[in-house]
Amino acid sequence: MMDKVATVPQRKIRLTGQALLGGLALAGAGAVFLLLGHYPQWQLLWVFGLLFGFILQRGRFCFASAFRDLFLMGEARVMRGILAGLAVATPLFTIAMYLRTPTLLPGNYPPGANILPLGFHTAVAGVLFAIGMSMAGGCISGTLYRIGEGYTASIAALAGVMLGFVLLAFTWGFWWQVSVAHSPLVWFPEHLGYSGGMLLTLALIGLAFLGLVWWEHRHRPRLSWAGAAIAEGGNAPVSHGVRGEMRLLLEKVFLRPWPVMVAGAALGVLNAALFLVHHPWGVTGPLYQWMEALWRPLGVYLVPLPPLMGLDQFGGACNPALKPPTAFGLTHDAMLVLGMVAGSFISAALAGEFRVRVPRQRRRYLQSFGGGVLMGYGAALALGCTLGAFFSAIPSLALNGWLFALGLLGGSFLGASLLRRLG
Amino acid sequence: MTTTGKKLVRLDVRGEVCPYPMLKASEAMKKAKGDEVIEVLTDHPPALLTIPNEAVKLGWDVSIQRTASAEWKITLTKSQTPEEGGKV
Repeated sequence: MMDKVATVPQRKIRLTGQALLGGLALAGAGAVFLLLGHYPQWQLLWVFGLLFGFILQRGRFCFASAFRDLFLMGEARVMRGILAGLAVATPLFTIAMYLRTPTLLPGNYPPGANILPLGFHTAVAGVLFAIGMSMAGGCISGTLYRIGEGYTASIAALAGVMLGFVLLAFTWGFWWQVSVAHSPLVWFPEHLGYSGGMLLTLALIGLAFLGLVWWEHRHRPRLSWAGAAIAEGGNAPVSHGVRGEMRLLLEKVFLRPWPVMVAGAALGVLNAALFLVHHPWGVTGPLYQWMEALWRPLGVYLVPLPPLMGLDQFGGACNPALKPPTAFGLTHDAMLVLGMVAGSFISAALAGEFRVRVPRQRRRYLQSFGGGVLMGYGAALALGCTLGAFFSAIPSLALNGWLFALGLLGGSFLGASLLRRLG
Repeated sequence: MTTTGKKLVRLDVRGEVCPYPMLKASEAMKKAKGDEVIEVLTDHPPALLTIPNEAVKLGWDVSIQRTASAEWKITLTKSQTPEEGGKV
């Protein structure tokens, strides 16, 4: 049936200008790695960033579309990839947390785990963030890898994120008083033990999966999967011999898009690996530090940026206040962000998908910028974006990840209807 | 007019990102009377996935051609036999 329905161009390994550019960029990334020789932590985060960027681009792994398409299309294809990532990461995170904090005592949380204050601000942040990512056409990680692919509107979105951070910094006092200060940290292992917490989280992921299948069937039959299969697999050529097999493997890794479940699982494993050696995946912290560094010269003439008070009592990888900003806002965590942009560029160029893309309608810049502002505000309020407050929080066996996810669902519902109206 | 005598509808969604290429293609397919060939021009790789997906659901055949570096033409033609289960 599929052959009849669609023909997809064969993706052959060829030396094009773009592939050459990608190869050069890869060599450049290697050179950066060598130059960082005296800073193993910087090297580590650079490599992780490159891998995250590469997989995000190959898998077209987009949190914004995962949530939005549930409402816009009644489709859960990308969301299944996210659940795969969460399911893979959960047991691995549990091991990482057990290694750090083997003895469970009240109020004793594993350092680095994304156990964040749980209050109504978490849900508000999720709603704002999701409206923002719907508008901007990508969440914060999506914006980063889109920049690597050459989307100029994503630069506007990133600028918006920075402004969103500033706005939150000036209103943090309000949120602190009405919600954050009296928000508990709800971490399942504290009440159920490690295995109980892990099983509860896996059961919730399973329930979410069931819910998705029900949701899809409610909207449309699974026919839609044919289209996805076509686009992901293409018309797979028959390979001949060892050489042919190797060639096909290279094509699958570097030229064709990865199936979204594979990308999701790979990101889950990589996230847990990063937690084992450092802290879970997140970009809000380092980006917030950049904003602080940019604001500092402005603050001399205008108003200094108020610190996010009270945060020292909470853990979490995306906790900006825990890390004092350096001169240029460049810490080793910044290498993770820069690595994601570079990894996406390498991936896109190797596959011949890089292009400087300028939206025809200039208002798309405004739309991306405005979406970015909402995302920045939401991410700073939740102390994490779709990565820190969701993709790394649920495997941390913390309830805040689930509440943020509910907020994301609500905001994406609103975002989807807004998108239809904007046209 | 195409060689097969069908009316050609060109849809240039270059520069647009998700979900617009898919939404606009979907709109064009729903508006079509069935004797058109719709050509969608895009530079957004995810659209190579979302547009075929939507097309199959609506009972259209899909063919994708790379027209330039990071640019593709998706040709949509109404299927002769509607897929079972589709809302056709």
